[in-house]
Amino acid sequence: MFGALFAPVPPPDGALLDLAREFTPRVQSLAPGEVLLDLHGLGRVWATPRDLAGALLAAAHARGWSDLRIALAGTRVAALVAARGRDGLTVVPPGQEAATLAPLPLDLLDLDEERRDLFRRWGLGTLGDLGALPARGLAERLGVEGPRLRRLARGEDEAPLVPTPAPETFASTLELEWPIDGLEPLSFLLARVLEPLCAHLKERGRRAAGMELDLGLVDGRRHRRALRPAAPSAEARTWRTLMLLDLEAHPPDESIQAFTVRAEPTSARTVQFSLLDPAQPSPERLAETMARLHEWTAAGRAGAPALVDSHRPGAFVMETFAPGPVSGAALTGPPGPRLALRVFRPPLPAQVALRGAAPAFVSAGGVRGEVVERAGPWRASGDWWDVAWSREEWDVALAAGGLYRIFRDRLRDEWFVEGELD
Amino acid sequence: MASAIKDALEDLLRSRRLQAEEPLLRGEDPRSRALGTGIAGLDELLLGGFPRGQISEVHGAVSSGRTALVLALAARLTRAGSLVAWVDPADRLDPGSAAAAGVHLARLLWLRGERRGRETLLPAVSAVGTLLGSGLFEAVVFDLAGIPATARQRLPGTTWIRLQRLIEDQPSALILIADGHVSHGPGGAALAMKASAPRWSGAPPARLLRGVGAEVREARRGLRGATVELQACS
Repeated sequence: MFGALFAPVPPPDGALLDLAREFTPRVQSLAPGEVLLDLHGLGRVWATPRDLAGALLAAAHARGWSDLRIALAGTRVAALVAARGRDGLTVVPPGQEAATLAPLPLDLLDLDEERRDLFRRWGLGTLGDLGALPARGLAERLGVEGPRLRRLARGEDEAPLVPTPAPETFASTLELEWPIDGLEPLSFLLARVLEPLCAHLKERGRRAAGMELDLGLVDGRRHRRALRPAAPSAEARTWRTLMLLDLEAHPPDESIQAFTVRAEPTSARTVQFSLLDPAQPSPERLAETMARLHEWTAAGRAGAPALVDSHRPGAFVMETFAPGPVSGAALTGPPGPRLALRVFRPPLPAQVALRGAAPAFVSAGGVRGEVVERAGPWRASGDWWDVAWSREEWDVALAAGGLYRIFRDRLRDEWFVEGELD
Repeated sequence: MASAIKDALEDLLRSRRLQAEEPLLRGEDPRSRALGTGIAGLDELLLGGFPRGQISEVHGAVSSGRTALVLALAARLTRAGSLVAWVDPADRLDPGSAAAAGVHLARLLWLRGERRGRETLLPAVSAVGTLLGSGLFEAVVFDLAGIPATARQRLPGTTWIRLQRLIEDQPSALILIADGHVSHGPGGAALAMKASAPRWSGAPPARLLRGVGAEVREARRGLRGATVELQACS
């Protein structure tokens, strides 16, 4: 026995499937507002098909879907077409599929426009008209499609039901008999929850892109923490470490009575190892290391520097440290060693004595001396539309030793030491 | 069978030297390979490069080329696909200079301190320990240059012994940049750097800083030394 639900106005996503799954796990979603149910074996619960249909109707009414059409039949096609074509509840007696469908219009089959026009020209209006035609004649005119449509019009199935898989939830809850304080006891309990959860993820070929830890506190409040490392993982040990490190930084202020861990599943990472490329770091270990450095990362003071497209001296941004694969270009040799600037942040305000227009003596915090050699001035300016800057740069060598880059802020007429060349 | 073919292929790659840095072979201890800087005279002085599993130091006065030399090492490592961490309690690194030296910035983890002095040094030492313990980084650079000696001396006396113990089982090298001698492991390198007169070109106002020569001496081996030419960035 099969059933079909047809909603002329489709309810919200998944609502019809949820109703169907209350009766059987074998349900197939065909289109928005159309669901097929495999109702075999339910005779012990509902003695007759009409009882079962009544239960379906009651469940629909309980949801306020008074216009839902329900049909039960011995074949999937008969149930589906009957639900499409007849209001309310229809129970097709066994062996009466063709007769029940016969008066219904041909349009209830999923026909393309060309085929519909052809049948109209042949004078066919109902499923019964099509079902009464000889299969051989249809095959001669329409090929294999002809007998197939004839079988559908007579309510005969073509293919088995393909169940729509239920959405999987990856969550686990642990209610505690006694509240716990501190992270050490929580660590053991987290392992108990995370290990089966991660095993479930692995069985399904999934990883967790993020996890949410929802702690229920003794005073009824919730303490929620969401973790989203740079790379998905299904390693229970990694997730436990990340959660404990996060809770160290953001501890709950009451004892814990219960907790729930929810994973956000994503497809498993595929890694193609190569003989020639260097091994990539394990994303799990990298995420764990970055979590251990949370004091630095939380303040935005740890990451990979990236240069920005600007002429403003020293412009850069800090990006999340997530090294990807090495490109071929990066494998070329570096240039030779170059003097690097060791910058002062912010630049040191300086007193500079001039000889002519060139610096002759520099005095700033920790930097002081007569200028013995100099190169400059190099003028640069920009961002006049935003926070304007304009400067005159000099590279100077001091008598006491040391090469420094100094500059004059031309907008404020003040001197600064930007850094030392090392 | 597949394993035998892979071994044969690895032998072939090694014999043909298809890569500048040969990949590690199965069972090979990564600590046996030093981290070469790619600067011929310097690598000779270091007997191949900075040793892994050891604390090494590069020290010298202002503008002696300490940062340039360590950036050259970071450039070589990151371009070969390795990761480098740069712990910078005084926040002195210039990403533009690092990029000009050839460092692949996406593979450089930079930890920037907020304040100078002991308050920043203690968390920085802790971060160095975390980075070394992860085993993810070929080199961890701890930039102590410009930090007053008094701040360093206020660190617990066992700091460097603890870090050396931590690193000796790891395939990483810890490299200290400092104004003077701080510490190095029993097998680590200690490079003392001294700048020679800078080279300039042209006449004012079109005068340019061309570079500086740095004399590098392996402080533990006495008289041996090398000269490294450091070009000025544009």
